[in-house]
Amino acid sequence: MGLLEKRRAGKLMLKILGAVMVIAAAALAGWIRSREYARRPNQIRRTILALRRLETEIMYGFTPLPDALLRIGEQSGEPIQFILSEAAKWMNSPHHRTAQESLQKAVQSGWKYTAMKNAEKDVLHQLSFTLGTSDRKDQLGHIATAVRQLESEEEIAREEQNRYEKMYKSLGVLCGAFIVILFY
Amino acid sequence: MSPSWLTVFPDNIRSLLSALPPSVFGGLEEIRIREGRPLEINAGGRFCYLTSEGGMTLDAAKAFMPSKQECNRLLDLITNHSLYTMEEELRKGFITIEGGHRIGLAGRTVLGGGKVEHLRDISGYNVRLAREIKGLANTLLPQILDFKHKSVLHTLILSPPQQGKTTLIRDLARQISSGTWRHPEARWPGMKVGIIDERSEIAGSKRGVPSFDVGPRTDVMDGCPKAEGMMMMIRSMSPDVLIVDEIGRSEDVDALAEALHAGVRVIATAHGSNVDDLSSRPAMSRLLECSFFQMYAVLKRTDQGMAFRLWDDKRRRVQLPDGPAREAKGREVNA
Repeated sequence: MGLLEKRRAGKLMLKILGAVMVIAAAALAGWIRSREYARRPNQIRRTILALRRLETEIMYGFTPLPDALLRIGEQSGEPIQFILSEAAKWMNSPHHRTAQESLQKAVQSGWKYTAMKNAEKDVLHQLSFTLGTSDRKDQLGHIATAVRQLESEEEIAREEQNRYEKMYKSLGVLCGAFIVILFY
Repeated sequence: MSPSWLTVFPDNIRSLLSALPPSVFGGLEEIRIREGRPLEINAGGRFCYLTSEGGMTLDAAKAFMPSKQECNRLLDLITNHSLYTMEEELRKGFITIEGGHRIGLAGRTVLGGGKVEHLRDISGYNVRLAREIKGLANTLLPQILDFKHKSVLHTLILSPPQQGKTTLIRDLARQISSGTWRHPEARWPGMKVGIIDERSEIAGSKRGVPSFDVGPRTDVMDGCPKAEGMMMMIRSMSPDVLIVDEIGRSEDVDALAEALHAGVRVIATAHGSNVDDLSSRPAMSRLLECSFFQMYAVLKRTDQGMAFRLWDDKRRRVQLPDGPAREAKGREVNA
């Protein structure tokens, strides 16, 4: 009798452990997904700030583009720093690529570390064609356009964050619970 | 090792240039790039076009023609990807790159209030390679020494363009500043030299620091109008010798007179092929009348190097110790 009781209790324990693990995994997946929604507007904001700093460097600092990108990168934090310093690296010796190629290469290689989407990538891609190739007034115009576009993307991203962040979190837990119930 | 100026060219033009025979490459003076037209090089006073195989030709139809893309790349590289930092340079029409080389630009100008405000659609580039020839002034310097005052004479150096005036006064500045007088009886130390470098040619300054060796006691006023620069130098830097390139306007002459009264020695250059030429130019004839300069040197480039003839303040020919014209040769320093 004692043995049977013990076996039953052991089986129950295993089942509970399994259920907890399934729920935890699902909750984690939901949490990761929801975090992407939180990171995107944050990174867009930081990109906008970086562009605004670039505006100042160009307008008042007369700083050459590679130096400006390096300096702004240091203040921006990852993953923006990676993209900016990568762009500066390609511009400088010994690569001597054009500003356009350098920025495009950097965006290409660094984008996977960001939570940003294609819309933001396009904005930077567009900017790469004009960055460094005209006078200050013109540069400011192009940067301002990019900033405006990013701001509208940021708004969309914030909306999505409000809508989906919590949803994915609870959805994860619920999915886990659903699977557990199914298997019982 | 390839020289630093080669890195400003796009890959294909760079490989064309570095494939040139060493004798031509070493003597390169100008590389002219015009969008959609033949790539031209000037070396040793002669010109030719480059073919896309790297050969040299005089037939423009066979020549390699740089595309718009290559020109844009060149512009991006010479401006350090930052055209917006070069607004002042664009207004003047040239950019000085590392090593003191100057790149002249031609394009469409944007006017503001009747003055050139900006240069856009740049399609013509003239890369003028600066050469530093140490010792070029070795033969001229002993002729212009003023033993009485332990200084140098007021000297005007005359020559047509592209004969090496700038290279010569750069070396003069270096030697006067370091006190290598090239004369056994000249035993005074180096003097304070002030260079007014209106077009960043003499010292090739980059961010205010000379690219060339202009001597230990030399100050450079970079990108400054000559007349104003001379006054600024006299007032602020107390030079013993002033060096200016290409004087010619009447305000330059006024400033020179001022320098004379301030007790500063002046070495200047001007365009012209002989001393009599000067009298036909209104501003310069005033210089002759008040016999401001104590020595006139007329340069001529020869196959062996540089030759010069001298006239004194009364416009009499000065006979040089060994023969009418002496070759000045120097050791070229690779920038």
